[in-house]
Amino acid sequence: MAGQNKQNLEQNNSAPQRQLRGLYSKVNISVKSLNIIIIVLAVALVVCMAIGVSNAGFTVQFDSLGGTTVESQKHMYGELIMAPVPPTREGYLFDGWYLDQSTTRPWNLENDVVTESMTLYAGWRLQ
Amino acid sequence: MTEKEKLKKVGDILLNNAMYIIIAVAVVYIAIMRPTFIKLPSIVNILSLTAAKLPIALGIGGCIVLTGTDISAGRVVGLTACISASLLTTVFKIFPGMTSAAPLPLVLLLVIGVGALVGFVNGFSVAKFKLHPFIVTLSTQLIVYGIILMYLMRGVNNGQTLSGLADNYRSFITGTLFSIGGVAVPKYVLYSIILTIIMWIIWNKTTFGKNMFAVGSNEEAANVSGVNVVRTIIMVFMLAGMMYGITGFLDGARIASANANTGLNYECDAIAACVIGGVSFVGGIGRISGIVVGVLLLQIIFTGLTFLAVDANMLYIIKGLIILIACAIDMRKYLVRK
Repeated sequence: MAGQNKQNLEQNNSAPQRQLRGLYSKVNISVKSLNIIIIVLAVALVVCMAIGVSNAGFTVQFDSLGGTTVESQKHMYGELIMAPVPPTREGYLFDGWYLDQSTTRPWNLENDVVTESMTLYAGWRLQ
Repeated sequence: MTEKEKLKKVGDILLNNAMYIIIAVAVVYIAIMRPTFIKLPSIVNILSLTAAKLPIALGIGGCIVLTGTDISAGRVVGLTACISASLLTTVFKIFPGMTSAAPLPLVLLLVIGVGALVGFVNGFSVAKFKLHPFIVTLSTQLIVYGIILMYLMRGVNNGQTLSGLADNYRSFITGTLFSIGGVAVPKYVLYSIILTIIMWIIWNKTTFGKNMFAVGSNEEAANVSGVNVVRTIIMVFMLAGMMYGITGFLDGARIASANANTGLNYECDAIAACVIGGVSFVGGIGRISGIVVGVLLLQIIFTGLTFLAVDANMLYIIKGLIILIACAIDMRKYLVRK
């Protein structure tokens, strides 16, 4: 056991050690530098998560497709969208918000909840 | 054992498991902040999403064992999802001449065939011309994307999202398998489990599986000992392609629509899941159970971050960092192994 540990120590302290193969075959790096890389990246990951959490909220944008502008909203996960003031467009009647521009998948303001940032498109029919 | 050696051992454990530790801490934090995260509906949701993303990771796993990778995966999923959604629908915009939806098994075979064909092109170029899988699959990724866009322009569709899927297609995939506590588990979970079992048998119990690991750990040695290297590589990529085809078939119905962006970046998630799950880029190392754990862990952390309403833009950065850390840990494990 002690012998193995010693061998390990020797391996770790003397670069280059065991040759990497496969996709890493051109990589020549010591365990020490790898340790530093892992720690730095782990810290970066935690910082990114913290920034993400502190700026939490999904943006819901409304594309009125030629109608009057509708302001975007910010929501947390699982919240309902507050019904915005319906946009108006000359010669058309507004008939609700849709998930796609071709207005095939309607958004139900009473039941559907926000699970991601998204854009809703206005549905129009001829007056 | 001296104090220094003890410290070193603790350091080793901490560094080799850095990813799991971060994920565990994050999950505890999310569970405290959003208690609904660990309620039954959320857990079922995580397991279902894991099942949905498992087949593609099982496919890519084989390519990684060969020290390669496959970045065309996501686009193949997109193409096969579009093919499924265009044939198994109630509004025939791509093929205006059709009057009723095509039979399910036929479409399933077709998309598996399409996946296998792309896989064959990838595998053949890698095996015969010794091209790097990154280059080959980058080009097939672009070619497949072009095909998706042209396919969506066919008929009267004009590049729009395909929806209005046939009821039997949707219920075959998203129908209820069984319910626990009033939460429905969709049928594709079962299909995913079946695929995992099939892949486990292929990897562990067949000559082809053993050849795959032999080629992955040392191509020359495998060749000398009589393994048909070219055929093994082609078959691994074809098998991966079939998995993408099945993923596309499942995804069309699961999302209830398909467009040019379906499947975008799926390969990144799958590669990250494989590397987290211990499928090593050094080649010839990896287990099916590892891939399952990798996909599950990644799904847990990303569902959790969605619960905290972390913006999707930040999720991309986090995904990139996770892949980098997983690779660094992967290298470290290989270097310090006795």
